[in-house]
Amino acid sequence: MSGLFGRGDGIASGLAVGALALLAGFISLPLLSLIIWTASEGSWRAMASPVAIDALLLSARTTTVTMAILILIGTPAAYVLARADFPGNRVLNTLVDVPVVLPPSAAGIGLLLAFGRFGLVGEPLFSVFGFTITFTTVAVVMAEVFVAAPFYVRQAATGFGAVNRGIEEAALVDGAGRATVFFRITIPLAFPALVAGAMTAWARALGEFGATIIFAGSFRGVTQTIPLAIFAEFQSNIDAAVALSVLVLGFAFVVILTVRYLTKRATQYES
Amino acid sequence: MPFHHCFRRALVPMISSMIVVGIAGCGGGSGGGEASGGGEGGSGGTLTVLAASSLTDAFGELGETFEEQNPGVEVRQSFESSSTLLAQIQQGAPADVFASASEEEMDTAVEDSLVAGEPEVFVKNREVIMVPRDNPANIQEFQDVAKPGVRLVLAQGDVPAADYAVEILGKANSEYGSGFKQDVLSNIVSREADVRASVNRVVVGDADATFGYASDYTPDIRDRVAVIQIPPDLNIIATYPVAALKDAEDPELAREWVELVTSEEGQRVLEKWNFEPAA
Repeated sequence: MSGLFGRGDGIASGLAVGALALLAGFISLPLLSLIIWTASEGSWRAMASPVAIDALLLSARTTTVTMAILILIGTPAAYVLARADFPGNRVLNTLVDVPVVLPPSAAGIGLLLAFGRFGLVGEPLFSVFGFTITFTTVAVVMAEVFVAAPFYVRQAATGFGAVNRGIEEAALVDGAGRATVFFRITIPLAFPALVAGAMTAWARALGEFGATIIFAGSFRGVTQTIPLAIFAEFQSNIDAAVALSVLVLGFAFVVILTVRYLTKRATQYES
Repeated sequence: MPFHHCFRRALVPMISSMIVVGIAGCGGGSGGGEASGGGEGGSGGTLTVLAASSLTDAFGELGETFEEQNPGVEVRQSFESSSTLLAQIQQGAPADVFASASEEEMDTAVEDSLVAGEPEVFVKNREVIMVPRDNPANIQEFQDVAKPGVRLVLAQGDVPAADYAVEILGKANSEYGSGFKQDVLSNIVSREADVRASVNRVVVGDADATFGYASDYTPDIRDRVAVIQIPPDLNIIATYPVAALKDAEDPELAREWVELVTSEEGQRVLEKWNFEPAA
């Protein structure tokens, strides 16, 4: 503390520490309550119930596909956003960020209007192929991609923007091809940012609720991811709902620790 | 443009699920403030009613009546599945009145000593099948919901409307063969939070059919939804009990609400919304 605040700043530093304690308490109380409930009700086994396992597997499957799509499409897209100077770049940059500020329920309605059976794209899809996206696992992935994409693309674009272009240019002068420079120099240099972005996006996809329940519905094993299972269980079996929350809490904890570790490594690399 | 209305309807139950704790919290807080600040003859304050989502329209109208009859009183209502409401009451959500779409939830509330006095059955409701007007799965009669490929949506387990539906299917087994119930259940593509949410899936047109109450066939969805009747010998009549809650902030107001709902005037409003009289 004494390094942060000079002499005579005792009150200021006290207030700041108090604020931190308040925040830490506020965040940890609900988390602790979940664990205390599970322990006192002895409902750990609910984590292994068929509903929980189906939801966990579905969440694992859909978020994996979501991340594959985000990395394949989001990485080159982020590169273009960070590097290319073209008219409309700023508009696109803003557009990519919109899902972050859009309430997920609004995103779900939007997806339904676009891809539902009577949606702009959904109606021709249904009349030509007899296929409807709503209530399928595809709809879950689409909802997850929609809400999680900005988190990956933003971080990746920032990462690409921070790469020292002198190194890339030196490699180009030495005769390396553009693709080689991208995969051998740009990607490795931006790697910590890419991984951190992917982690945040994954966590967001994992927690996705509003867009999924509106656009994809809720059915065990098909569209009922962990957050939806928690919501459904809350009505009939609160022990199971709490146990599922603890399960997801543990998972979120691991992800955040990983992200923090990676961010630290990235900053160490910079200096 | 015609979508506008039904999407609002679809959104409301989902959003309300997320903010109900907020509503209940506000009700307690502002109720106390108004009670101390008021005092112009009437009792003032806030009445918080937790009601089954099928009561949304009828209770909405009765809420306005109640506010007219009790100047200064604000009626706050939260409409969700009876099972969700029960869970909220068990978790201590501040509320004055509970109106359930099933005696089962009310019985649990009574067993848990959450209810003041005796619950009263105030209305009955019939289950029907609802399909989109253009009827993409061509459902003409009750047994058509068992046809393979029908995209059926049901409220989730423990929601009275869904429990009744499963009970009806069980009865139908004896009439249409032992595989009937299983055929219908295997057509389910989504389990919704409450009966209104499942009806909205048909209104929006993404589901081919759902089970709902006759009272859910409200005027504003009639141009988009058609009703298929369930044979009377198979149908189940839902009975709705209402009761003042033990932890009611204003027991007097809570009792008055129960009186309004069971009164001639209340019954008339409920019948207008396709409910059937309890007696």
